Amino acid sequence: MARDLWSLVLIFLFFSACAATTFRPISDGHRSAASELFVPIDGSYGSLEDTYEALRTVQILKIDRNIDINPHTCPVVSEILEDSSSQTKDVYYALGVNSILGCHIDSGIYEAVISRLQSVIKGAKSLYDFYYSIKGLLVIKDQGISVVLEDAGDAFHSIKALSQSGGRWRFSSNDAESSTYAAGLALEALAGVVSLADSDIDQSMIGIVKNDIRKLFDSIESYDDGALYFDEKFDAEHQSPLSTSASVVRGLTAFAAVTSGRLKIPGDEILGLANFFLSIGIPGTTKDFYNQIESLVCLEDNRLAVPLILSLPTAVLSSTSNDQLKVKVTTVLGSDSPPLTVKLVQASRLDSKSSPVLAHQELKFDPESSFHSLDILPTSMDVGKYLFVFEISLHDPEHKHVCATGGQIQAFIYYTGLIKIESAEIAVLDSDVDAVETKQNLDLSKDNVVSLSADHLQKIILSFQLTTPLGHAFKPHQVFLKLRHETKVEHIFVLKNSGKLFEIKLDLLALVEKFYYLSGKYDIELAVGDISMENSFLKSLGHIDLQLPEPSEKASHPPVPLLDPYSQFGPKPEISHIFRAPEKRPPQELSYAFLAAALLPFLGFLIGLMRLGVNLKNFPSAALPATFSILFHAGIAGVLILYLLFWLKLDLFTTLKFLSFLGIFLVFAGHRTLSQHASASAKQKSA
Amino acid sequence: MATSGWFLTLTLALVSVLPLCVAFSAESPTDRRILVLVDDLSIRSSHSIFFDSLKSRGFDLDFKLADDKRLALQRYGKYLYDGLILFSPSIKSFGGSLNTAAVLDFVDSGHDLILSADETASDLIRDIAIECGIDFDEDQSSVVIDHISYAVSEKEGDHTLIASDDFIRSDVILGEKKIEAPVLFRGIGHSLNAANSLVLKVLSASPSAYSANPNSELSSPPSLTGTAISLVSVVQARNNARIVISGSLDLFSNRYEKSGNEQFVTELSKWVFHERGHLKAVNVKHNKAGEKAEPAMYRINDDLEYSVEIYEWSGTSWKPYVADDVQVQFYMMSPYVLRTLSHDQKGRYSTSFKVPDVYGVFQFKVEYQKLGYTSLSLSKQIPVRPYKHNEYERFIKAAYPYYGASFSMHHLSVPQIAGQSSIYLLSSDRTNFLWNFDFEKQISEL
Repeated sequence: MARDLWSLVLIFLFFSACAATTFRPISDGHRSAASELFVPIDGSYGSLEDTYEALRTVQILKIDRNIDINPHTCPVVSEILEDSSSQTKDVYYALGVNSILGCHIDSGIYEAVISRLQSVIKGAKSLYDFYYSIKGLLVIKDQGISVVLEDAGDAFHSIKALSQSGGRWRFSSNDAESSTYAAGLALEALAGVVSLADSDIDQSMIGIVKNDIRKLFDSIESYDDGALYFDEKFDAEHQSPLSTSASVVRGLTAFAAVTSGRLKIPGDEILGLANFFLSIGIPGTTKDFYNQIESLVCLEDNRLAVPLILSLPTAVLSSTSNDQLKVKVTTVLGSDSPPLTVKLVQASRLDSKSSPVLAHQELKFDPESSFHSLDILPTSMDVGKYLFVFEISLHDPEHKHVCATGGQIQAFIYYTGLIKIESAEIAVLDSDVDAVETKQNLDLSKDNVVSLSADHLQKIILSFQLTTPLGHAFKPHQVFLKLRHETKVEHIFVLKNSGKLFEIKLDLLALVEKFYYLSGKYDIELAVGDISMENSFLKSLGHIDLQLPEPSEKASHPPVPLLDPYSQFGPKPEISHIFRAPEKRPPQELSYAFLAAALLPFLGFLIGLMRLGVNLKNFPSAALPATFSILFHAGIAGVLILYLLFWLKLDLFTTLKFLSFLGIFLVFAGHRTLSQHASASAKQKSA
Repeated sequence: MATSGWFLTLTLALVSVLPLCVAFSAESPTDRRILVLVDDLSIRSSHSIFFDSLKSRGFDLDFKLADDKRLALQRYGKYLYDGLILFSPSIKSFGGSLNTAAVLDFVDSGHDLILSADETASDLIRDIAIECGIDFDEDQSSVVIDHISYAVSEKEGDHTLIASDDFIRSDVILGEKKIEAPVLFRGIGHSLNAANSLVLKVLSASPSAYSANPNSELSSPPSLTGTAISLVSVVQARNNARIVISGSLDLFSNRYEKSGNEQFVTELSKWVFHERGHLKAVNVKHNKAGEKAEPAMYRINDDLEYSVEIYEWSGTSWKPYVADDVQVQFYMMSPYVLRTLSHDQKGRYSTSFKVPDVYGVFQFKVEYQKLGYTSLSLSKQIPVRPYKHNEYERFIKAAYPYYGASFSMHHLSVPQIAGQSSIYLLSSDRTNFLWNFDFEKQISEL
């Protein structure tokens, strides 16, 4: 029964543990980030508002400003303060910048500014007018100049008149919406009125405001990790949770500082707000940075409750290096806490149902390093993930009312160590008799080069033992056996354990389908890893040659491998066109020889003509027949020349064109020549 | 009156939209206006280094909550943004007119997208990723765990903040400067769709990584293990729209100082918003060797010269692109000639080759695809004709015997009609012509 109860408690703890996040106070990381973020450009941070925020952040974080911005900024400040028509907001920021930089401003100017701001308060309609003018007066007062706000009660009433139900405020009397951001501004303004007042403010009014503050805290929202924040319901102002919460915190702490009597705000809510600002980590923008740091500095020293932050320098403790459990308790800005003792209420493993390993231990305080530490005895704690529950108890009972410690604080601790790997072996068994065919021992501290072979009727068996440094069974989160085929097809098996022994038996006959009937070389890899295992490994065991049967027709195909992005692109092989080879031709000499042979008959013909005694004696001598004969022969010569030209140069169409003209001429001339010749020969015959 | 009022609104809207159209153009392909959708506006602060680097490079970021009722990517048919950053992993449904289809249409019209998920990733975000060819681990509670290459963190020891330096080897995607420090990643893994050839793994997990729920015992093998887990992937669509998908939103945050994250995400954003790897081709020219003018057609066996100028956008100007793998094809149904172009270091690529002895309608084709670069696809059609009748060679040495023979026979046979007749005509009767003589004699014998 008691055991069941324990497990119930543990389950409850586990679920509530999801909210267990320890937050870290502001550290050097913040300082270096701020010194990178707040860098003046050309000796200036930009507008006066930006300048004020930058200077204030740098001042709070105690960072040295290397660049003197006075020469650029002070003239702007005095210009704003001297100009009687400048905006109240600008005047406030100018005063703020001046209070940090210490520009030389004449006391006469202060007098003028004070009377100007006083008159603004008298005629103020909007919350911003009240806020900036009252804040401006406060800044002047802080510089040692006496400022007294007359009619403080009226100002208080005018601001209070803007408040709405639920503790929220309106920006001006014309606004219908109420805003949480405005509530912060209003509280700050009211606090300013109280501290500037020449006479006491009506305590009943202050009581009403205190009541409003409690109502405002009803609307606080929370994150899973226990951080609390205010969010803006009224969207028109575009305030983020950070700026809204910052505004409320500034107002709240300022109001608490000036009023007597305690505000009944639980310390846990103040701590939750502090956690919210710390959970942001290092903000990236100057505005967020300012809001975070300014709010934290308000919380650092406030009259409600000073949040104390318990932080762990590391969440991972190693058993091999005998790490001590170290805890630090500081304020939000990282300064030392008042004397206190940190108690470890209990430490329990998350994954087992056994009783807590450690309970009710007091941590030793080392004043030099300001750490609270505890030696974890290796005999009492094994590797694993633990939930530690701490409690802070303050030494001085006075402080108990001033500080918010948040009761029990939970933190996850990862306790790591070296895991012993023993008796690792891989074997191939014959299926029916489970007789060992081949068996090899493995050394899992290095890569192995086992070479095995098996067919589908056999079994592969891999086994090893894992033990924790204390000799207990250890079950890592990741125990994978990976078989990778040459074609990059991977199969992963999870190894199951029984006590210390991890074993997997691969019955290849049952796996052929899963292996897509792919025979061949498979690389074997074993991956063992866990969060608490310092020697997590991924080792190659070697390879195995599998002989699997041929796939049946219905067998599924292995998955398509991903395309390789490097080979997917890139140049293609060049292509050149292969031209048709020209026809084969005989050698030139042969052509010339046959040319000569072909011309021989013509030569014979010419010789024959010579031998016959060709002459031109029959050429007509009379004028007309001679003319026609000459023309006829010239025509024939023309045709022959045309033939020659046709061969050398002309195409058929041009040749035919010329030939048609020549032909007509030739027919005419030829007819006349022949008819004369015929008549001449007829005359001869008749003669 | 109402009509004129309406007209005025429309004109005003058009005037306000017009400069946006000018922002993203072919001449200046870098994105200008980017919509950033977030779950929580504090991301603006926690991821400020990334956003500041974008702003300093001239981008105009518009932050909106992902459930903002007034969300819209386009108005009057014009897109209001050139790029979209989805840093809202847990959003169940977008506000306004935005939904999965609108995001995909935005990408389909050539705009760029950065999508970041984490272990809270909603089905909406997963669906968009699936449409891009990326499947996040189906198990909603699983994250990438690596017990060997994890980052030592002060706060946590659950090995879910993993360190990876398995980058894609591509200068265009990740910049020329090597990323020395590993990238820290906390989030969910994804796998690539094997059927999608456009998606590339940019950052892979180490071989010892796996994707599982760290708080529960594993009974079955995890669906994603080892280097098959992609942590960050990119897609370059066929219309040159670029997408980055990451399984971790923290990857972009300011949180991991001494890591390669800042360099990695900055370089990746340069790629995705077209500050790098965007090519253009101009002055595509071709002509016959030794000529200047571009002919209307080529004859088979002509020698031709082809040239094209390729420039890469550097974010501010077009710089000559230098590479040794630009190829041109002389293409008709299949490439007849494929040549690698030589370049003069000033962006001019050229080659010369002989037109194949096949006639038809060819194309000069440049299909340039390189890892990370936008693809170039140029084609220019050009017909190729065979020889004309008078373009063959006129005197063939091998045919000289035929020329000689025909000349010879011409004088032996044809002159019988023409030349011989003159001899017959001109010679004296007594020595009458040989063949005629024989001819007459033969006739008389008959």
